[in-house]
Amino acid sequence: MATVEFVEATRVYPGADRPAVDAFELQIADGEFLVLVGPSGCGKSTALRMIAGLEPVDAGRIRIGERDVTDLPPKNRDIAMVFQNYALYPHLSVAGNLGFALKAAGVAKEERTRRIRATAALLDLEPYLDRKPRMLSGGQRQRVAMGRAIVREPQVFLMDEPLSNLDAKLRVSTRTQIASLQRRLGVTTAYVTHDQVEAMTMGDRVAVLREGQLCQVDTPLALYERPETVFVAGFIGSPAMNLIEAPLEDGCARFGETVIPLSRAAARAAADEGATAVTVGFRPEALELRGDGEGFAITVDLVEELGADAYLYGTAVAPAVSGRIDATPTVTVVARLAPKGVPRRGEKVRLRIRDDAFHVFSTKTGRRLPD
Amino acid sequence: MSPTSTHGRPTRAADSAGTPAAAAPGRGVRGGRPRGKPRSRGATVGGVVLRTPYWVFTTALALIFLYPLVWTAVSSVSPRAGTGQVDGWGFGNYSTLGRYQAGIWVYLGNSAFVSLLTVALTIAISFLGGYAFARFDFPGKNVLFLSTLAILMVPYATLLIPLYVLLTRVGLANSLVGVALVLTMFQLPFATFMMRISFEAVPRELDEAAMVDGCSSWKVLWQVLLPAVKPGLITVGLFAFLTAWNDFMAPLILINDTNRMTLPLAVSNLRGQVQGVVDYGATEAGVVVLALPCVVLFLIFQRHYVRGFMSGAFKG
Repeated sequence: MATVEFVEATRVYPGADRPAVDAFELQIADGEFLVLVGPSGCGKSTALRMIAGLEPVDAGRIRIGERDVTDLPPKNRDIAMVFQNYALYPHLSVAGNLGFALKAAGVAKEERTRRIRATAALLDLEPYLDRKPRMLSGGQRQRVAMGRAIVREPQVFLMDEPLSNLDAKLRVSTRTQIASLQRRLGVTTAYVTHDQVEAMTMGDRVAVLREGQLCQVDTPLALYERPETVFVAGFIGSPAMNLIEAPLEDGCARFGETVIPLSRAAARAAADEGATAVTVGFRPEALELRGDGEGFAITVDLVEELGADAYLYGTAVAPAVSGRIDATPTVTVVARLAPKGVPRRGEKVRLRIRDDAFHVFSTKTGRRLPD
Repeated sequence: MSPTSTHGRPTRAADSAGTPAAAAPGRGVRGGRPRGKPRSRGATVGGVVLRTPYWVFTTALALIFLYPLVWTAVSSVSPRAGTGQVDGWGFGNYSTLGRYQAGIWVYLGNSAFVSLLTVALTIAISFLGGYAFARFDFPGKNVLFLSTLAILMVPYATLLIPLYVLLTRVGLANSLVGVALVLTMFQLPFATFMMRISFEAVPRELDEAAMVDGCSSWKVLWQVLLPAVKPGLITVGLFAFLTAWNDFMAPLILINDTNRMTLPLAVSNLRGQVQGVVDYGATEAGVVVLALPCVVLFLIFQRHYVRGFMSGAFKG
C-alpha cells in the first residue's frame, strides 16, 4: 500500500510539438481508486505508463510511497499492471502466468503455489489453472490478467482500459467485480479508461484529462454537479450536458424567452472579461416540459424511449450573439423526460430549465464563473 | 565435368526433400481442427463435393514431388551393370559409397558439423539481430538492415573467391569452420528479415508485462520473447540446415583436403571416379543418404513450421 504522487511530471514524445503529459500535479491517496479519463490522445495512458516506468519522465518527479521512482526501472517499482489486451504469456499455463512474477522475484515454490491457489480461488480460475491462454474465453483471460496483478500483492495496481475488449454485458459485471475487489484488497489503484460511465461508477476520485493537462480531479458526483470547465461539463454525463452560448443582458443570460439570472460574482467576472456572452450549461434532467409562454421552444427531432425514462432530442433557435454569424442559428437540446406522454417527432414543445439547475461558464476561457 | 552439372543432383534431392512439407500445411491445419469442434463437414454431401477435388489435387501434387525421390531410392538398390550392384537387389551401391576414400562416416560427420554450426550461428545471430531491429531505435538502423539484405544482391559465386582470399588471411582456409561462417553469412539476409518480422509480430505489451513483472531486458528476451518467436527460429534453423547440408559451391572452393569434404562434394567426386565413367548407382545411393536427414527433419518440424502459436494470448 502506498500513495502515488506526480510532481510536475512531464512527458514529451520525440518529434511532438506539445507534451503528451504536461506538468502533472496529482496525488493518489493510499488505497484510493483513481480513474484517469479523457478522450483518446489526452495522455491518460502515458501518465499511467509513467507510473509503471514504461515511459520515461522528461521533467518532474514521480513518487510511490516515500520513494522517488522517477529513474527506477519497472521491475523495481513494486507495481502490477493490467493491459488492455491482457498480454498474457502465450507459452505458459494460467498457473504459469500467475506465478511468473513470483518466480522472477524468487518466491519459494510452496509459497508460490499457495498464492496462485488463493488468487485462482478469488477469481474463479481454479478449473483453468492448467490451460493455456488461447484455450480461454475473453472474460477468463481478463480474469487471468487481473490475477497476475493481484497475486503479487503490489503497492500499486495500474490498469489500462482492462475492460475494453469485453462485450457490453460482461463489461458491466466485471466493472463491479473489479471495483469491489479493489475495495476489499485496499490496494492503491490507477485506472485508465475513455468510458465516462466506468469512470463515474468505479472511481473514488476521477481525474479528467485533456490534451496532456489535468482539467479537474474530484469525486464522481462533484464532477457531475460542479464541473470546473466546459470540457468537463460536456465530457461527464451521458447524454452530454447542453451547452449554449447566450448573450449577456443586465447581468442575465438570455436564451429565447428564458432569462437566466447570473449570480453577482459571475456577472462581475464576465464583465471583467469584457464578455458579451457566456456559455450556459444544463443537464438533460434539468429540463421539464411546459405549456405556452414559459421556457423556450424546440422542435422534436428524435425520441429515445428507454422504458425508465425517455430522451428528447430537439432543435431550438440559437440565441443571437453579437459578432457571430451562423448559417443555421440553431442548437441541439437534449432533455430527459418521464416515459409517459412524450411528444412525437416533429412536434413543437416548450421546455423550461429548473431553477438553479444550470452552470455558467466563460465563453472565452471555458472556465466556470463563480457562483 | 563441370561443377554446375554435378550440382544438379543434390539440388534435386533437396527439392524432393521438400515434398513432405509441401503436403504438410493442409494436414497440419486439419490436424489442429478437431479440438472441441464437431467434424460435421465431411458427413454432408456438400462436404464430400468440396473435399474430393482437394484430395485428388493434393495427392497428385504429392506424387509429382515424391516421384524423383522414390525413383532414386529404388534405383539405388536395383541391379545395373558397371555399378556396385551388378545383379539382384541389394545394398552394393551403398557399400561402394561407404568405402569411398575416407569413408562415408567422415563425410557425414563433416556435413553434420558444418550444417549444425551454420544453424547454431544463424539462429544466434538472427535471434539477437532480429530483436535489435524490431525493438530498438538506433542511428543507422535502416542502413544496417538494408546492407544485411544487400548480401542477397551479390551473386554467390562472385563472392567466393574474395572470401577464399579473406579466409586464407585469417587462417580459416580449408577449414570446416570457415565454410560454416561463409554459409552463415549467406543465411543472414533471410534469417534476420524473418526474425525481425517475428519479433515485430509480438506485441510490445508482452515485453512490458514481463518488465513490470520483474524481469530485466535479458530475462524478458530469454523467458518471454524466445518462446514467442520459436516458430520463426525453427523456420530459420531449418532453412539454414537445408542450405548448408546441400551446399556444394562453398566447400568445393574453400576445401582442398579430401578428409574434410562434405557429403555433396564427396558424392560428386565419387561419381566420376573410374576413368570418367559415371557410377550412377553409387551416386543415387549418395543422393538418398543426402536426402534422408532433410526428410526426417521436415517430418519432425512441419508442425512448428505452421504458425498460429500466438493465437489466444491476445484479443481475437
